[in-house]
Amino acid sequence: MILITGGAYQGKRKFAGERFGISEEKMLDGGVCSFDEVFSAECVYGYHKLIKRLMAQREDPVRYTERLCRENSGMILILDEVGCGIIPLDKGERQWREQTGRCGCTAAGHSVQVWRVTCGIAQIIKGEEI
Amino acid sequence: MITLVTGGSKCGRSSYAEGLLQGAEGAKIYIATMMPYGEEAQITISRHREMRRGKGFETVERYTDIGGAVIPLGSSVLIEDIGNLCANEMFCEEPADDPCGRIVSGIKALAEKAEDIVMVTSQTGSDGIDYDGGTAEYIKVLGQVNAALAQTADNVIECVYGIPVALKGKIG
Repeated sequence: MILITGGAYQGKRKFAGERFGISEEKMLDGGVCSFDEVFSAECVYGYHKLIKRLMAQREDPVRYTERLCRENSGMILILDEVGCGIIPLDKGERQWREQTGRCGCTAAGHSVQVWRVTCGIAQIIKGEEI
Repeated sequence: MITLVTGGSKCGRSSYAEGLLQGAEGAKIYIATMMPYGEEAQITISRHREMRRGKGFETVERYTDIGGAVIPLGSSVLIEDIGNLCANEMFCEEPADDPCGRIVSGIKALAEKAEDIVMVTSQTGSDGIDYDGGTAEYIKVLGQVNAALAQTADNVIECVYGIPVALKGKIG
């Protein structure tokens, strides 16, 4: 697995396309895709949205992420960084933010490379450039 | 050696910070700053206790005036976390006049006694939301505290989903 993270609208998808040669149509939108197609996708973006949808269905997003790391270990996962703010007042938002953190740690732990994209600039923070 | 570990919510800061003191010789002190009020605080506290179990930390609870914490000479100290400490200094019954100054001078006082200090703090200023009064002030003060502590620290590490990134010094 390769994890690409960073804030919203920093150029993560553009980087994934340029660096790993993935076309737009092969990138699955975590905000709308089915939970099953993620397991065979080459690339999923907006994974933080998928986490929110899983939680709405009372699925455990960390277990889902662990399974994804096992069953689709060759994929590219794009996940926004969402934790760098004030703790939300709303309990649901708070739990989502925490679960996103845990899922991110799980995915990063299993990934051979972790990239962080800021202002369109990608830095490798785990692994080595090939 | 003074290390500041920062990052967002549930980014693996605690595990990384604890790991830094794994091989430490001498006493290991964990200064807990979170007030144990409310169900979620209790859950967080028990989860962190579980994480520290068997790692040889002695826990000291200290909610304000961090410099007054009693620590043995030459000990290794993990402070968790600065964000809570800052909120306590600002919003407790008797708020500090200068919360930033109090925290920074307190840490410096501890650094004179401790062999190693590892501080966990949080990044709170990056959600682009305009908050009112107290919260806006908190983000500002914590930002100032973090900047001042980073200046004092030998190493400043940001955790990104569990991956340490060196902002100053080196990854331990």
